[in-house]
Amino acid sequence: MADSATASFEAQLSPVLDRAYAAAWHLTRNAAEAEDLVQEAALLAWRGYHGFLPGSSFRAWFLRILTNKFISDYRRDRRRGVVVDMDAVPEFSLWQHSRASGMHSPDADPAAALTSQLDGEQIAAALDRLPEEYRLAAVLYFVEDLSYQEIADILGVPIGTVRSRLHRGRRLLQAELWALAAASGIVPRNPVTTGDR
Amino acid sequence: MSDSDRLSCQDAFARLDDFVDRELSATELERLEAHLQDCACCAPHFEFEQQVLDGVRRQIRRIRAPVGLLDGILSRLRAK
Repeated sequence: MADSATASFEAQLSPVLDRAYAAAWHLTRNAAEAEDLVQEAALLAWRGYHGFLPGSSFRAWFLRILTNKFISDYRRDRRRGVVVDMDAVPEFSLWQHSRASGMHSPDADPAAALTSQLDGEQIAAALDRLPEEYRLAAVLYFVEDLSYQEIADILGVPIGTVRSRLHRGRRLLQAELWALAAASGIVPRNPVTTGDR
Repeated sequence: MSDSDRLSCQDAFARLDDFVDRELSATELERLEAHLQDCACCAPHFEFEQQVLDGVRRQIRRIRAPVGLLDGILSRLRAK
């Protein structure tokens, strides 16, 4: 391998590695598999590096390779194709529950109270409970500042599908987060469902 | 902005997800921001939704690649 090519590849890979590993960790939910996945994606990326368009987004290109590798070799498909009745999932459940629980006093910061007290593992567990199609889009969304179009390109689906999966996944994630927060005592255990915004 | 350009609260909420994802067009963004400036009901809710997403994002991004991962990758590349 030519040293200049290696140096160029390293310069591109190094700044995206933490986020790529975070994506791999959330996708596989296993540290050893995440490391293997990133290594294998990096080798594939290197083999295809001559096809990388200079000036385009290396992070999006690399994440596409990593995601495809995950889908082909690592995915366990346990929640793939799950049909969710979105009518049964309330909108804005964190807002509604936190208000009903009295967390919105004038000096309070209810969003921070919720998300800073849940630890990374709890949030990962909530993400992990999403149906697979929603989970993939959500991991890419939260790990990187990608546009809908970039996520659509990575997943190979239309932009409207990404938009729908992200919005629905967000609704489901909020319900999971509230349940986790209640189970861990961060918020009261008796969430109230209300139509009040 | 004319009255016909003004959004109702319902219109604003239909745009909430695209707003927090920075996917609104400049025109739509301007209309929504005008509504949020005037609406004491919607503004705190929009801010809350944005902060929840930011909080989740922060937690998810705390994960760092293991020390030595980059060197391990580069060693494998050089060995090929």
